[in-house]
Amino acid sequence: MANCEEEEHIFAAAQHILKALWANKHLGDDAKRTIAELECHLSAVFPTIERDEAVHAEVEERLKSAERKVMQWKANPSSIWDSGPTKPCEYLQAVNEIQSVMEILGGLSMNNISKRRELTRRAQCALQIAMSRLEEELYHIIVQHKQSFEPQYMSFRSHMVDAASNESFASVEDEIVDKASSDVTATELVQHTIDLVDPQVIPDIKAIACAMFASNYEKEFRETFIGIRKQALDEYLSSLKFEKVSIEDLMKLDWENLNSQIKIWLRAVEIFVRLYLASEKRFCGQILGEFDSVSSFCFAEISEASILCLLNFGEAVAMGPHRPEKLFRLLDMYEVVLDILPDIDELYSEETGFFIRLELHGLSMSLRDSAMVTLTEFEDLILSDASIQCFPQGGIHHLTRYVMNYISTLTVYSGILDCILKDQPVDGQSASPEIDSGQNSNDVSSSVLSPLAHRLRSLISALESNLTEKSKLYKDGSLGYIFLVNNIHYMVQKVKDSELRLLFGDEWIRKHNGKFMKHAMSYERATWSSIISILKDDGKANAKEKCKRFCNAFEEVYKSQTQWHIPNPQLREDLQISTSQNLVHAYRTFLGNSRDIGDKYIKYTPDDLGKMILDLFVGSPRSLNNSRRG
Amino acid sequence: MKATETQPSFLGRISIRRNQVMSMEGNHEQELQDLDLFQKHVSDRFAALLSSPEDLPHEPLLSISWLRKLMDVFLCCEAEFKAVLITGRDPTQISKPPLDRLIPEFLERAVKVLDICNAVSSGVDSVRQCQKFAEIAVSALETKPMGDGQVKRARKALTSLLSAITSDDRDNNHFKSTERAWSFGRRVNQGGFRKDKPAGSFRSLSMVVAKNWSAAKQIQSMFSNLVAPRGAESTGLASPVYVMSVVMVFVMWALVAAIPCQERSGLSTHFQIPRQLTWAQSMIGLLEKIGEEWKKKEKKGSAGLLEEVQRMEKLGQSLIEFADGFHFPGEAEKLEDAATQVAELADICMRMEEGLVPLQQQIREVFHRVVRSRREVVELLENAGAVSQPME
Repeated sequence: MANCEEEEHIFAAAQHILKALWANKHLGDDAKRTIAELECHLSAVFPTIERDEAVHAEVEERLKSAERKVMQWKANPSSIWDSGPTKPCEYLQAVNEIQSVMEILGGLSMNNISKRRELTRRAQCALQIAMSRLEEELYHIIVQHKQSFEPQYMSFRSHMVDAASNESFASVEDEIVDKASSDVTATELVQHTIDLVDPQVIPDIKAIACAMFASNYEKEFRETFIGIRKQALDEYLSSLKFEKVSIEDLMKLDWENLNSQIKIWLRAVEIFVRLYLASEKRFCGQILGEFDSVSSFCFAEISEASILCLLNFGEAVAMGPHRPEKLFRLLDMYEVVLDILPDIDELYSEETGFFIRLELHGLSMSLRDSAMVTLTEFEDLILSDASIQCFPQGGIHHLTRYVMNYISTLTVYSGILDCILKDQPVDGQSASPEIDSGQNSNDVSSSVLSPLAHRLRSLISALESNLTEKSKLYKDGSLGYIFLVNNIHYMVQKVKDSELRLLFGDEWIRKHNGKFMKHAMSYERATWSSIISILKDDGKANAKEKCKRFCNAFEEVYKSQTQWHIPNPQLREDLQISTSQNLVHAYRTFLGNSRDIGDKYIKYTPDDLGKMILDLFVGSPRSLNNSRRG
Repeated sequence: MKATETQPSFLGRISIRRNQVMSMEGNHEQELQDLDLFQKHVSDRFAALLSSPEDLPHEPLLSISWLRKLMDVFLCCEAEFKAVLITGRDPTQISKPPLDRLIPEFLERAVKVLDICNAVSSGVDSVRQCQKFAEIAVSALETKPMGDGQVKRARKALTSLLSAITSDDRDNNHFKSTERAWSFGRRVNQGGFRKDKPAGSFRSLSMVVAKNWSAAKQIQSMFSNLVAPRGAESTGLASPVYVMSVVMVFVMWALVAAIPCQERSGLSTHFQIPRQLTWAQSMIGLLEKIGEEWKKKEKKGSAGLLEEVQRMEKLGQSLIEFADGFHFPGEAEKLEDAATQVAELADICMRMEEGLVPLQQQIREVFHRVVRSRREVVELLENAGAVSQPME
């Protein structure tokens, strides 16, 4: 090295002398020739220096022109990429020039070290200015050409069912639950992506990326790129109406609000993952595809915060109180998460996204567990729903309505529920074994029931045992039977008219038909046996007396049982006819056998009786005067 | 101290004993023993955090590795607490006064912990961004020979670094940065292409929890209804609930003080621990040390007390000075000084690279653990029939 420098010095000194000699205007031809020879000689002695000089000159020239370009734009406040089609190209060419200048400088083993250093320094300086500029241009281009969308047109799942939304046991009506939606199958979002950034500028962004990566300014590029895109994704998420709410506030939300937040979430998750994340991933690939690991790193950094917000919402919902209505939403959420799991696994297939994959799998389990706890608690709730007073008129209890509507809504989720339930440990928790064991022993179909059917039967058994308890509250045992008839009949109707029919099978329906008919018979026995037996009484009383007592007893029943209520007209009629058959028949027979009773002692004819029986169970008390032959 | 170190024997003992004595009524003695042990373990663990021995110079107070230890301590205490409170517990015991009030309050605190975890975790993200800027500066300043280009490059990165560190919590919120970004775009037509460019296109701390959410307020409300049990209560289950609550609030408070977090003004005044609690002495010591630091820093508006970030800030300022005074080829002495500082900055970057992601994972673990424990306590309460979730 020292040698080199010495040679350089000698060369420089010699050149200096030669220059000074040339400067002399009075040189003769001989002298000129001698100097030229000297020059030749000098070049022969130091050939590399000579060549380097030429290279230096050339390199410096190229650098100068590139510097000019860079400095010219440094003073210009408007964007290069907004200034016509040729400008960016020229600028990138200048950057390219600087790079190749640096390459030449680095590759040559030049002798003039100070010159090389000086040129390198200048090149680095120019490069820094250019890179800083490219960073700004990058920011400008991406922000300017961000595309926004109206996500309304996008189809998304919607088998959301509103079960008894905010209603309590006391007020739930059939209609509220019955609006189960059109179709269970989610309208699959076709795996399509959109252009989050105008595709026209993608080559520009890519060119900037290439220039910055080639110049070793990769980190600066990444920071800027990630920063802008992260914010863009955050905005897309807000455009889906998803609002960031603290877990604390979510836990305090009333059901109605939470329910609508969940619906927003369901839609947001699906669109965000399927559409925005997929598109973002594609965008990253378009820009950074050549730098593979960088692309997936950037994508993970860009998207992690937003996806985590969505995940946290899910965790919060799974954590909140397990009200029965929430089950449907939890199942919706679970289903959405299961749906997007493969997408997430694919989007974050690299190691950088491992965390997100793990979190999403964790969330799916939280939601599943929460759904199961909700279902179990619902069953407990059915069992423990205690009444102090008997239900008026022996009608259909709102618990019955609620539970039946609830479980028929659950059939909408039969696929997912079967999946969850088949993996659940079977514990001895199935409710009210008395009812279960009694019927399952000879129920051939129960062994082939789906897990959901098992669970729903268990819920129904819980309901039945609760209703049995409730029926005991009636002072009048007959009304207790009517209550059971009404409620079990309602259950059977509900099963017959819904998907539950397939789950429970005809066998179940037959059995429960039998059940309420048995209760109906019990009713007849309890109410009418003793009255009919008055007529049959072989005791001392004479026919007149019997007739009077019979009519009085009938009037008593009439007064009370016209207030009782069987809402289903068919059922009411059946029970009236059956009562009529027994009672009127017995009465007619009695009158036929006791012709000695004078007409004036016969308060009601058999036909009167038949008509009056039609007033029973209509739920509005009638006075005898009104009804009689009215 | 690993999260598993002291647990097995203690937890195993509790569960075995509970199984043995479940049927017996008078296990008060053993309850007291459990409580004593629990308090002792809490005390020991925090003593280890306070001492920060000289032979471990890489673990100063509020450094990344210290915070990671703090997270471990939290997880250990939490596991023991759960054993004391839940394992083999007859549910009716925790549904009686004063626990019927204390447990729900505890559960509310647990929910606040979750939000704080999320906020802090996103704060770790912004520290990671600082690391990235610092790395740019380091690699630029490590170039030999050092030219103006590299010095300018480093200066730019350091400016971004400092603006990330010093910008106030409130400035970091989502809305302002959005506005800034878009006004930049809009002004292009007026020729102001570069004027509004956010400093170093700093990746802002996006609002992760919610609008108007404040870490300081959460800490305050976690603490506001926290009263040390007295008299007969102090020997019952009220005590471990109190101990764990104090641990919870302290750990969250320290995290919020250390790591950038949404809205922290007045943090130092929100939390005190009664001096007479013997098991809390180390915690009180830590609280005072950190509290003083916080008061010093709060006025300046800073990203937090994280040791690495504070050193980064100092180094950043000093290296910016160096960059501003740099004339090629530079004075040997100054170059040497700068090289030392760059090496130090590189060292911090390395420690961040090693520690930040694991710290973030630990914070997430705390999150999940608290969720799980909360669920178990709620289930226990439900079994006791204390928490009714009426359908109405």
